[in-house]
Amino acid sequence: MASSSSTAFKTFSLTNDVVEVSPQDEIYRFDPEANRTLNREQPWARDPHYFKVCKISAVALIKMVIHARSGVPHEIMGLMQGKVMDRALVIVDSFALPVQGTETRVNAANEANEYMVQYIQGSERVSRQENAVGWYHSHPGYGCWLSGIDVNTQMTNQKFQDPFVAVVIDPNRTISAGKVDIGAFRTYPESYTPPDAGSSEYQSIPLNKIEDFGVHANQYYPLEVQVFKSSLDSELLGLLWNKYWVNTLSQSALISNRAYAASQLADLAQKLTKAQTAISSTKAPAPSLKDDKQARVCHSCQLSCDDILTVFDIQKEEKKKEDQNQLLKSVRDSDKIASEGQHGLIAQVLKDVIFSMRPQDAARSEVSEIMDTTMAIG
Amino acid sequence: MSAMDTDELPVVLPPTHTSGLSLSLHPLPILNISEHLTRLRLQTNSSLPFALGALLGTQNGREVEIVNTFELAVGEDGATVDQAFLIDRKEQYKQVFPSLEFIGWYTVASRPTAQHIALHEQFTAYSSTPLLLLLQPSTVFAASSDLTAQTLPIKAYEPTIEIRDRKTRSVFIEAPFTVETGEAERIAVDWAAKGGEGDNSLESHLNSQRAAVKMLHDRIMLLAKYVTDVLADQAVKDHATLRSISALIASLPASEHRDFRDEFDTEYEDVQLTAYLATLTKSASVLNDLVDKHLVLTATREDRGPSAPRRRGMGGMGMGMGMMSMGVMGMMGRHGDWDRFH
Repeated sequence: MASSSSTAFKTFSLTNDVVEVSPQDEIYRFDPEANRTLNREQPWARDPHYFKVCKISAVALIKMVIHARSGVPHEIMGLMQGKVMDRALVIVDSFALPVQGTETRVNAANEANEYMVQYIQGSERVSRQENAVGWYHSHPGYGCWLSGIDVNTQMTNQKFQDPFVAVVIDPNRTISAGKVDIGAFRTYPESYTPPDAGSSEYQSIPLNKIEDFGVHANQYYPLEVQVFKSSLDSELLGLLWNKYWVNTLSQSALISNRAYAASQLADLAQKLTKAQTAISSTKAPAPSLKDDKQARVCHSCQLSCDDILTVFDIQKEEKKKEDQNQLLKSVRDSDKIASEGQHGLIAQVLKDVIFSMRPQDAARSEVSEIMDTTMAIG
Repeated sequence: MSAMDTDELPVVLPPTHTSGLSLSLHPLPILNISEHLTRLRLQTNSSLPFALGALLGTQNGREVEIVNTFELAVGEDGATVDQAFLIDRKEQYKQVFPSLEFIGWYTVASRPTAQHIALHEQFTAYSSTPLLLLLQPSTVFAASSDLTAQTLPIKAYEPTIEIRDRKTRSVFIEAPFTVETGEAERIAVDWAAKGGEGDNSLESHLNSQRAAVKMLHDRIMLLAKYVTDVLADQAVKDHATLRSISALIASLPASEHRDFRDEFDTEYEDVQLTAYLATLTKSASVLNDLVDKHLVLTATREDRGPSAPRRRGMGGMGMGMGMMSMGVMGMMGRHGDWDRFH
C-alpha cells in the first residue's frame, strides 16, 4: 500500500504549501445568500427530474453506516444537512434521530420533531449553517428502495420542505457485500406519471415486501450517489489505512453476517418454492402465447395495426414482469448469495494459508487446489 | 502558541512518564475533526482556525474507546466553553447512542499549551479525567520509505497532576493509541477512501485482500531484516522485541486445534453448497427456457395444435425443476432451518 501512502503524502504536502483552498475543498464552502436565492427560485419545483446526483461527504456517510449497523435488526432513521449545488444535492453531515422501530414506525414522527429542531438550531451555533435537506433510514437485509410508507413520507417532505432527498442504507448487505449498500431517492409529484410507467396505479397492498416494492416502484426515481472528501480527509484516510489494514485480515464476513446469510437462503428457498408452483401454470403460456395470439390477431385482420402493437406491448410487459418475479429472479438471488459466500471464503482460505500452514508442509499443493476451485466458482 | 513562549514550564511531561491508558480511536472522530477544521478554514478564511469539540466514547477501567465527536460552541471571548450547549448536545447524543459517554475534548494545535490547560479545567465537571485529542495540521512528514514513519498527525493526552515546589498544577501526559474499527465502519471508510467507486466484483475483493496481505508481508520482512541484522551483529539486541518475535512465531500455526479445523471445514462446505445451489438454479432456469423455446417451435410446426401437449410438457418440466430445488433444500436441511420449507 506504499503507493497510496505516497499519494496521500503528496496531497498533504500540496495542500500545506498552497495557501488558498484546493478545488477539492471548495464543496465545503457554504454561501447563505446564494442558498436563500436558490430556495426562493426553487428550480426543482418545475422539473420532477431536476436532481440527478446526491453527493455525500465521507463523514456523513460513515456516520450513517455506523448508525444503521448499530440499529440492526431494527430500522433507524436520521436527518441529513446539506445544500443544493446545480443539479446535485450535497450532503455534508448527518445526525441520528431517537426513533427506532419497524417499517411502520420509521417515519418522521412527532416524537422526533422537537429533537430535530433543537439539533439544527444547535448546529447553527457551531457554524454548521446548512439546512436539513434529507432524511436517511435503514432497511436491514432487504435492500435499498422506498416502501409505501417511505414514499408517503418523502412525498410530504418534498411538498413542504423541498429540496429533500431520501437515503436508504442496508447495513446487512453492506457487510456481506463488503461495499456500502446505499440508495438516494426522490419521489415524483402525485400528479406526475413517469414516462415509462404506463398504467401502473397506486394500490395499497402491503402483503409482503416484494409486493410493496413492486407497487411503489413507479413513484420515485433513484439519484446517483457520489462520495466526496476534503483534501485533509483523503490525506488522513491514506494514513489510516496504515493502521486499520489489520482489520481487513482479522474480520470475517462469513461469521459476522451468519444470520443474514441464513435468512437470505431461507428467502431463496421460499422464492424457489413459489417459482416451482408458478412455473407449470402461469409461466408456461407466456412465451409461446405471444406469437400465437399475435398470429391469431393478424389472421383475423379485424384490428388496426396500432391495436396489434399495443397488444404486443402489453404482452411484452407482462412477460417482463413475470420473469422479474420468478425463476430468473431466483437465479439472480442465488448468484448473489453464492458470490458473496465465495468472497468470504476466499478471505478465510487466504488466512488459513497464511497463518496455519508451514512452508514445508506437504499440504501445500492441496492448498493451491482449494484456491483453484474457489477461484473457478467465485 | 504565543502563550507557549512566555510559559516557562512545559505543560506536557517528558516521555519518561508513560500513561497506562489503553486508548483506541475510531476513524470517525478523526474524520470529524478533519471535516470541522476544513469547514472552519473556509468560513474564516484562515489557515488555522480555532476548532473545539467533545469526544464521545466508552470507558471501562483503563480501557478507553473514542467513537464519535461533536462540535462545541465557545463564548464571546473565545476561551470559555458554552456549558449549556455542551450539556444539550451531550443529552441529545445520549438519546440516540445511550452507551456513549463524554470522554474528553479535541482541538487543533501543534502541541498543548497553557491555554489548553485553561480549557481543560472547564471540562472536569463532566469527566474526572477528560482526555485531549490534538490534530496537528502542519506536521511535515519525512518522505521516507520507512513504514513506521508514517503516523497520523494526531496526539492523545491524558491529564494528570504534577507536584512541583509544593504546588500542584495540571499537566498532560502523552497517551499512545491504536486505531480500531467496527466492520461496518471499516467498509464505509474503505469505500469513502476509494471515492465511492468499486463494485462487488471478485477483482475489487481480491485487491483489498491483496493490499492487506502485502501490508503484512512488508511488516514481516521488516522483522526478518531486523533478526538478520541482529544475527550479523549489525543491530542492537533488544531482548523485549526478540522475545515478542519468538512468541509470535510460537503461536503459529494459528488454527491447529481440531475443533477449529472442523468448524472451518463446515463453513467451507456450506459455502460450496450455496455455490452448488446457485448452479442448479441456473441450470433449471436455462432448461426452462429451452423447454419454452422448444414448445414454441413445436407449436408452430403442429400448426395451431391443441395446447394439451404443451401443458403436459411444462408440467413435467415443473416437476423436474421442483425435484431439483427440493434436493438442494434437502442438502441444506442439516441446518434444521430449511426443513420447514420442504
